[in-house]
Amino acid sequence: MPVSHPDLGSQLINLCSMLLLLTTFAIVAQRRLSACVDLFALQSLFLAVTAALVAWFTGSPHIYIAALLTIAIKVIAIPMILKKVIERVNVKREVEFVINIPPSLLICGALVILAFSVTEPIAKLGFLLTRDSLAIALAIVLIGFFTMISRKKAITQIVGFLMMENGLFLGATASAYGMPLIVELGVFFDVLVAALIIGVYTHRLQDTFDSVDTTKLTGLKE
Amino acid sequence: MNAALLILIAAPLAAGLLSLVVRTRPVMERLQLAHAVVLWAAMAAVVGSVAAGDEVAVGSLLHTDPLSAFMDFMLAFVAGTALFYAVGYMGEELSRGHLNFPRYRRFFVYFDLFLFAMMLAVNLDNIALMWIAVEGSTISAALSVGFDRTKAALEAGWKYIILNFVGIALALFGTVLVYYTSEHVLGVGMEALSWTALHRAAGSASGGLNPVVLKMAFVFVMIGYGTKAGVAPMHTWLPDAHAEAPTPISAMLSGLMLNLGLYAVLRLKSIVDPAVGVVFTGSIMLGLGLLSMAIAAIFMLIQRDYKRLLAYSSIEHMGIVLIGFGVGGPIGVFGGFFHMLNHALTKSAAFYAAGMVLLRHGHKIIQGVTGLWRQAPAVGGGLFLAGVALAGLPPFGLFISEILIATAAYRYQHWIAYLFLALLALAFATLIAPLSRMTLGEAPSESLAVTYSSDRLMTSALGINLAAMVVIGLLLPVVSLDWLLPISALVEAKAVFP
Repeated sequence: MPVSHPDLGSQLINLCSMLLLLTTFAIVAQRRLSACVDLFALQSLFLAVTAALVAWFTGSPHIYIAALLTIAIKVIAIPMILKKVIERVNVKREVEFVINIPPSLLICGALVILAFSVTEPIAKLGFLLTRDSLAIALAIVLIGFFTMISRKKAITQIVGFLMMENGLFLGATASAYGMPLIVELGVFFDVLVAALIIGVYTHRLQDTFDSVDTTKLTGLKE
Repeated sequence: MNAALLILIAAPLAAGLLSLVVRTRPVMERLQLAHAVVLWAAMAAVVGSVAAGDEVAVGSLLHTDPLSAFMDFMLAFVAGTALFYAVGYMGEELSRGHLNFPRYRRFFVYFDLFLFAMMLAVNLDNIALMWIAVEGSTISAALSVGFDRTKAALEAGWKYIILNFVGIALALFGTVLVYYTSEHVLGVGMEALSWTALHRAAGSASGGLNPVVLKMAFVFVMIGYGTKAGVAPMHTWLPDAHAEAPTPISAMLSGLMLNLGLYAVLRLKSIVDPAVGVVFTGSIMLGLGLLSMAIAAIFMLIQRDYKRLLAYSSIEHMGIVLIGFGVGGPIGVFGGFFHMLNHALTKSAAFYAAGMVLLRHGHKIIQGVTGLWRQAPAVGGGLFLAGVALAGLPPFGLFISEILIATAAYRYQHWIAYLFLALLALAFATLIAPLSRMTLGEAPSESLAVTYSSDRLMTSALGINLAAMVVIGLLLPVVSLDWLLPISALVEAKAVFP
């Protein structure tokens, strides 16, 4: 695959991947729900830029399509849906935590170190351009997972899920120069439908329980 | 018979889309019953030609190898009876006024799309497209789990969504990792994601697939698809979802979706094993299998809800299957496959019977149900027969596969076999005791009446599954050996005991 300006390219891509990771931390540290959604949109924008950079420096045009889809779905459509849900269920108040912000950030820091050390033995297999991105992708996946389990509100759990998806997408784009287009399209479709369904469920939680605090879901246990 | 493969996959999609425009109940019933018959016919044709050694494929993406054909048989057979059952069950709910027609219609749309996604997943010759189809089945099942608009159903649905979506995301990371190493060997593009090509690359002497990456990929996939298969400790969604979903969906989840998760893990195992040896994947599966059995057996002890009881029994059986594949060897792997098939038939039958109990009693409390045998012999007898088979009594297929797995475990490590048998004994007692309490004794003085036509459909679904279970169990040595062995060979790359 033709790679022009590997040095400049890899530096720009690394910069963008780091910005992705940074927004992940910002989401973890954020108290306001709607700001979480905005930050998610920003993160997705960085993701699209990363994908476009990979497309430019490797000359693989199909990644541009993935970048455009990222903008359409993750920067515009999904944040819009989430905003609607927030408005509807009227939870502009703060994010509620199972684990508070400072220890959360420490844990996320540890997750980043874990991600780098786990992927260290296999990073050298990757293409020159995007060698560090796999570790960052794994870090974002782990932090997204952590967000899902450490937040009480249904909507923050959705944001956690979407962050995981962003991490996965970064992993696929950067480490493998993108999966084949049909695969990318299918994944996008699934993520969009998944987000819609979670949104529907959140509505119904609000209607039935009069709350989207998932710690109130305690009817079913042994 | 490539047309048959297309029909097998397209039939659920077509039925689901047609259901959207159906306006009356009789039309819907005829459509779904016809759907079941078409499924069976297409499945028979596909399985027949795979068994005869023909190449069954459509384009480069759909390819049915013996393992896919095995899954096709399981999916189409059980889904067919589940359709018969659903027509009866949901019809009864409709005539009782528990749901209106639009929701009745929506049920079948979800059901058919769920089946379509699973059918597609097992026939795709591509690791990433399979992921997409599996995710599709997760999403469509999410709609079905929360179908009843009760608080409990909603909570079960939310739990299901959160756990399974995380699981499926982790499985995608594993899939990306496989591509990460295979694109160096097979080139960038679809070829690097094809199971056939991956299998070939993994089998070649120098390999080329990086063992460290494959190990990581297996761990992610095992956790991810293991969540879908209800493997402990990722099983916590399962009892809630099985208990709260409409009963036909419970049967589909337990009989088919759990096996789909296992199928995906086995596919990956078959390409990881040649590169890293069977011990790595085997010990992970063995550990998770023992844990699942232990947790399920203990929790079955304290269940008061009979649908939850059956759900925990599913976790136990998934554990047994994992132990079979974990200890490996021709006997263990064969036992694992045979157990998957028999569990699918038997557990769906048990859920059919449980749903018929639910329709008669209107609640799911074990203590509140007695004398089923006298009240409705078909239901009580069916539930008891399925329960006896699930508990592992001879002469049923589950007994045979448990003996095979115990034998393989004994050759692997003595203590594993002892632990396995002890857990089986515990699960036996905790399942048989409540089920016999429900079946025997005096019939209650009053119960809800079930319409004759609905009851007949549900009874026939129950009967067909139980008959298939008995036949397959008794005829095992004659019929299934030459049919299951090529599949075992596919998974067990090197049939050796360490």
